[in-house]
Amino acid sequence: MKALRAFWQRLRGLLRARRVDDDFAAELESHVAMHVEDGVRAGLSAEEARRQALIKLGGIEQVRQAYRERNTLPWVENLAQDICYVVRTLRRSPGFTVTAVLTLSLGIGACTAIFSMVNAVLLRSLPYENPDRLVYLYTPVPALHLPAEVFNPSNADFFDIQRASHSYTSMSIFGQSTFNLASQGAVERISAARVDANFFTTLESYPELGRAIVADDELAGHNHVVVISDALWQSMFAGSRDVLHNTLSLDGVTYRIIGVMPPGFGYPHDTELPYGNAEVKTTQAWIPLALTPPQMANREDSNSDAAIARLRPGVTVRQAEAELSTIMKQLSRLHDPGMRGFGALVRSFPAAIIGPVRSLMYMLAGAVLLVLLIACANTASLLLARASDRVHELGVRSALGARRGRIARQLLTESLLIGLGGGATGVALVSLFLRILPAINPGNIPRLGEAGLDARVLLFTVAVSVLTSALSSILPILTVSRLDLSALLNSSSRTAAGRRSRLRDALVVADAAMVVVLMACAGLLIRSYVNVESIHTGFSRSTVSMNIVLGEHPGMAPASRASFQRAFFRSLVDKLSALPGVESAGAISDLPLSGAESLSMVWVEGDTHVKNELAEGRGVTPGYFNAMGIPLLAGRLFTNDDDSSQARAAIVNQRFVQLYLTHRNPIGAHIRMGGDANRWDTVVGVVANVRHASLEEMPKPQIYEPTWEFRNAYVAIRSSFPAGTVASEARAVMKTVDPNIAVADVHTMGELESEASARRRFQTTLLTLFAGVALLLALAGIYGLMSYAVSRREREVGIRMALGAQRSGVMLMVLGNAAALLGLGLAIGVVCAWFATRTLNAFLFQVGDHDPATVLTVCFLLAMCGLLAAFVPARRAASINPMRALRSE
Amino acid sequence: MGEKTDVWQGTLALMVLKTLETMGPQHGYGLARRIEQTSGDKLQLNYGTLYPALLRLEQEGTICSRWGASENNRRAKFYELTRAGQRQLRKAAAEWEQTTEILARFLAQGGEA
Repeated sequence: MKALRAFWQRLRGLLRARRVDDDFAAELESHVAMHVEDGVRAGLSAEEARRQALIKLGGIEQVRQAYRERNTLPWVENLAQDICYVVRTLRRSPGFTVTAVLTLSLGIGACTAIFSMVNAVLLRSLPYENPDRLVYLYTPVPALHLPAEVFNPSNADFFDIQRASHSYTSMSIFGQSTFNLASQGAVERISAARVDANFFTTLESYPELGRAIVADDELAGHNHVVVISDALWQSMFAGSRDVLHNTLSLDGVTYRIIGVMPPGFGYPHDTELPYGNAEVKTTQAWIPLALTPPQMANREDSNSDAAIARLRPGVTVRQAEAELSTIMKQLSRLHDPGMRGFGALVRSFPAAIIGPVRSLMYMLAGAVLLVLLIACANTASLLLARASDRVHELGVRSALGARRGRIARQLLTESLLIGLGGGATGVALVSLFLRILPAINPGNIPRLGEAGLDARVLLFTVAVSVLTSALSSILPILTVSRLDLSALLNSSSRTAAGRRSRLRDALVVADAAMVVVLMACAGLLIRSYVNVESIHTGFSRSTVSMNIVLGEHPGMAPASRASFQRAFFRSLVDKLSALPGVESAGAISDLPLSGAESLSMVWVEGDTHVKNELAEGRGVTPGYFNAMGIPLLAGRLFTNDDDSSQARAAIVNQRFVQLYLTHRNPIGAHIRMGGDANRWDTVVGVVANVRHASLEEMPKPQIYEPTWEFRNAYVAIRSSFPAGTVASEARAVMKTVDPNIAVADVHTMGELESEASARRRFQTTLLTLFAGVALLLALAGIYGLMSYAVSRREREVGIRMALGAQRSGVMLMVLGNAAALLGLGLAIGVVCAWFATRTLNAFLFQVGDHDPATVLTVCFLLAMCGLLAAFVPARRAASINPMRALRSE
Repeated sequence: MGEKTDVWQGTLALMVLKTLETMGPQHGYGLARRIEQTSGDKLQLNYGTLYPALLRLEQEGTICSRWGASENNRRAKFYELTRAGQRQLRKAAAEWEQTTEILARFLAQGGEA
């Protein structure tokens, strides 16, 4: 308290320093006068009395100085002085200032850009209450060799887990679906979730208007209610509050609106549910799951897509998983003999959604750290050069009484000012980056779109700027404080500073080494990207695809539902095929790269080795293969009769033949998917492989069966007309077939391909950008060092030339210096890159982490660029006029 | 004996406060002389160090100052104890007494051994 008061007084003292000073001078004067009076009274002469008074006081100026220091805050004054001084000297050398600020702004800008993304993706808390207490529950069967996240608990298992477990305060199951929403004469596709009564309590998210879904809403006859998203409320009802008296028509069924969720709530988003419905980006409506008692007793199947639970306070994920594992061991016995051995997996919600992108974020963070270090090294090198230029000046100042600490503080202040300038410029660069980020955002990194310059990012920038400044000023400060400044004054400044700075050489070597690491990483990513881009997908890029989902029609008998679906798709495909320009049209249950998937067990007649193997099962219409441009390799394609004929036909892909039908003619082989042991399909044709789940994943065995019965299908159209025309014509056709069904996800296959490589493009672009910036910085560093060395050695070069050195020799000498530094940097860099690229393995595709071609290219590129950067100063050295150089001093 | 002692760090403030309490308002020169006298001229006070110490006490709010006239009708700055200063003096004096008492015991013990 007292100290604070004193500090405040001293701060005030800064403002009225002059007045206090005068006041104290008067006080001292009266003090001395009284002392003199006493002295005279004791018999001294006036002069002697005054002399003794001053001795006793310890000197007027010294006392005033001590008083002044106590009255104000000397360091604030010093700081202000330092800043003024530094600003003056920086203004005097604009070239240095601009170079240093730009260098740091690139480093700090790159760092801040990545931090703004890391902040949005990893650090900012998820928009749910205590998201780290939320977990997904899975009951995987390890024997099936499938990702654990595809195994949701079956209905009966879920309710048994709910009864038996003690780890959770609340548990919920929910499914995802899409609906055709009728609004004002048009029809659009919306994404919805079918949720149980515990859904909103588990997430601890509640409607901003109306109420959530409760247990009564799950009863048959009461379940036609819906909670809608804020976005839907705004777009359909313009935010009107009487929305609660309104209804929604979903797939022709009327739902009463009972609640509106707050803005931003759209759980589950596509990035929040591993292996979720690929057509759902964000959820716009929630309706009751409303399982019937027979459904709830179903032990083998699930009507949901995920089970989410909230951990009881104090319970860890591991404990919950141990409990689930015990429960599943007991429940396993209740399952079909063919489906036992259930395991347990409990995954925390943040880990499930952030886990897949964490390594990418770490890689980018590592890359920018290198860029920042290079920027630091460059700035340190610039500051070193500046310090050795100013050795004379610093010597004079220290001779005049400046303490070493003060000189060091001034160097630090200079570096801080440059750092903050770099930070400010860096923020400008980042806002530029954030403007282009949406263009390269792959769309599958959760919440990347929310990256921005918030308070935390700005704080980070300031911290990085200060840290960078401190880091870059360490070397110059050490060097200057080691120098014997007064000795330097006696010698000529030129010769004193003309010694080659080993430190700066080392910095350039470090620069080169770090650039090699970055460029090697970027090079490997570029090669991977090129490899991915040159993958033969197996289908035509120009084919237009779209997704159509029919209503569930729960009231309809299965047979009439089937014939309705058949009639619908027949009519649609026929009409599409008849459009001008259309070469072929067809439908499929799971389109490549759409995210849709259905796996089935496969059996091959006469081959008992094929057991517990999974194949991708597809239902297709006859025109599909031609529409997609998938070539037939053997046998025949489906005809319109295959669908209805008794002899069940199937087409397999090449991979299937390689795996299961080698050493025999695949045509005519009998295979089957699924359980019914007496219904064999006959293979009638073999088609080429296509890439399905991703571009990078090797094709899996596929079985195509002929069908027209789809609820959810993708229609592919190959036309000689442009994609836009095809899409709008297809929409028009759709209106004539059934105006109540929406057309969604209209893309060319090329667009899906590009979307599939977007993440790779994103990481490759960023890393290449950083490597480019790093290269630029390193070249600037080499150039700076060489031209500085040349300017310092003008006299020496002059003497050499006067003694008969050739111009080409001088040039070679400079280039040789640069080459030696570069060579050392390259050698160190290659060794470092050897270790660094190992961590990159997960990001590479069809290229080794020590790919020699990449490393050689990188080295060659850096060597060439480096020598080019050194060439300019080398030529300057060669053009030195010996006479002028020698006379200049 | 006869050697003069320099003023220890931190004790000067206490001396100033105590002197002001017993003497009432006093100017810097008077304070300095009085401190030397009280110590039986055993303290060697550098008068110059007194003023920053006074300023510090003033900044901390334990004393205040105003200009006035000295006994010889000379303009001088007078220092005066504030309420906070009286509290501070009591506290510091008690602490000092305790410290010296403890030290005295230690030294006495050293004598016995």
